Amino acid sequence: MTLQLVFDALSLGGIYAIAALGIALIFGVMKLVNFAHGQFIAFAVFALIVPSTDAVAVMGLGAAPALVLVPALLAVGAGLAVASEYLVFRPLRNVSPVALMVASFALGVVIQNALLVIYGGRPKAISLWPELGKPVRLLGAEVPMLQIMVICAVLLVLALLAIMLKRSRVGLEMRAAAEDFGMARLLGVRANAVIAGAFALSGALAATVALVLVAQTGVADVRMGGQIMLIAFIATVVGGMGSLPGAVAAGFAIGAVSVALQAVLPIEARPFRDAFLYGLVILVLLLRPQGLFASASAKPRV
Amino acid sequence: MSKLGIFDLSVRYGKLTAVNNISFTVAEGERVFISGPNGAGKSSLLAAIAGEVRAAHGRIEMDGDILSGRVPEAIARRGLSMVPEGRRIFRALSVQENLMVGVGLRRDKTAVPDDLEAIYAAFPILGTRRHANAGALSGGQQQMLAIGRALMTNPKLMLVDEPSLGLAPRVVDEVYDRLCSLQAQRGLTLVIVEQSSARAGRVGGRMLLLRGGQIVADGDAASFAADDLLKEAYFGKAAP
Repeated sequence: MTLQLVFDALSLGGIYAIAALGIALIFGVMKLVNFAHGQFIAFAVFALIVPSTDAVAVMGLGAAPALVLVPALLAVGAGLAVASEYLVFRPLRNVSPVALMVASFALGVVIQNALLVIYGGRPKAISLWPELGKPVRLLGAEVPMLQIMVICAVLLVLALLAIMLKRSRVGLEMRAAAEDFGMARLLGVRANAVIAGAFALSGALAATVALVLVAQTGVADVRMGGQIMLIAFIATVVGGMGSLPGAVAAGFAIGAVSVALQAVLPIEARPFRDAFLYGLVILVLLLRPQGLFASASAKPRV
Repeated sequence: MSKLGIFDLSVRYGKLTAVNNISFTVAEGERVFISGPNGAGKSSLLAAIAGEVRAAHGRIEMDGDILSGRVPEAIARRGLSMVPEGRRIFRALSVQENLMVGVGLRRDKTAVPDDLEAIYAAFPILGTRRHANAGALSGGQQQMLAIGRALMTNPKLMLVDEPSLGLAPRVVDEVYDRLCSLQAQRGLTLVIVEQSSARAGRVGGRMLLLRGGQIVADGDAASFAADDLLKEAYFGKAAP
């Protein structure tokens, strides 16, 4: 029972962590809270099925073997994010952060409505990797195979991202740019390349979340990115804007607290689980307004 | 051909004119101090040369190429490097990572390991703390790291903004010693903003005195020290 809760917390928290990373990466390099991230996720979900407004979904890319499907969907996510950067955010490079944020809202609305026009508004049932639903016995608990796969995938993505940021040239440039973009440029770091790289990574992370969501829920819904975007945004704020480890830690913490509340709250209070969760978030921010892991880049420079 | 040429340069922030129609040239291998009171436009001048702020008017040339209007990373790629005001160390990165940020623009990547060792030889403290977080360094060490970081781009022209700011006089001596010997070794051209004209006189070189965004004097730094012009630049003309 308790072990089951641990698995629930890890898999839910892992999704939040990956979604939060997608937001924190872009905030880190260009101080933009990308509210279109949820629609990036929804777009990747619909990229799995054949465009049509019919009620029954026909798998397109989603029918491909996993070895093709996963890299292709990551590329779709990265491509959408890079295209958004090029078409929407690059022309607005020198405007205020607030204007950028509003532009990201607008971009989200455009993507969502494009999906509505192409695919229709009704949620569609889609079945991705149904064989993963089978439970396996692990350490004395019955755990769905899918949950184990999700936890492994999350850990793999986090490890790959950490190695990329720590060991590669572009990772070093991204970390330097996140701390002081102007200084990085004075040292020859190309602003356009770093920003496009951050968007590509963020889009690939959105596609990862899309895969997990579809496999878990079996539904494609135009609105499905919104809820997770909200939680992921909260995780980046609680973690400290711009801090990548903070976003990951806060994502896992929010997942763990949701699962714990679900388990310990009396039955009649459970519908209000999210109210308790957000109450805790307010409490954390009252005690540490800068977030749990305030980053150097969030401090004003004198 | 001069290394750096500034022609009729003006920099404005809104209605405020920080640099007002300045012209001067710097020869290859020269050391030029830019001195003057607060608000004279020293840092704005450097920021405009490095491409951080856009010139309102005028032209900046390096080796005859026009720099004005280019983005900072393009200017850095032409062999100009900046040690900025306040040092602007990447505090969350290690000392070595700080030094490596700027090598991406170099074409001679094979020379990078040797250059890194040369920086550690010039600043031994950076070598012993190469894996430490740069934010944990003292002010003097951070200044050395900022200089080392700029040198790792293998520049021909280096702009140094107030290297003595916030440092103990003994540490300032050390910073200038290293700067001068590195300049001699590498044939660098140096443009240094130094608020203390006395300090500039002791280190030696040419000095431009700025006031109100304009050059009020240009000459040998050592001969400025007791000059009336200096008092005038800082305190204004004495009433007749």
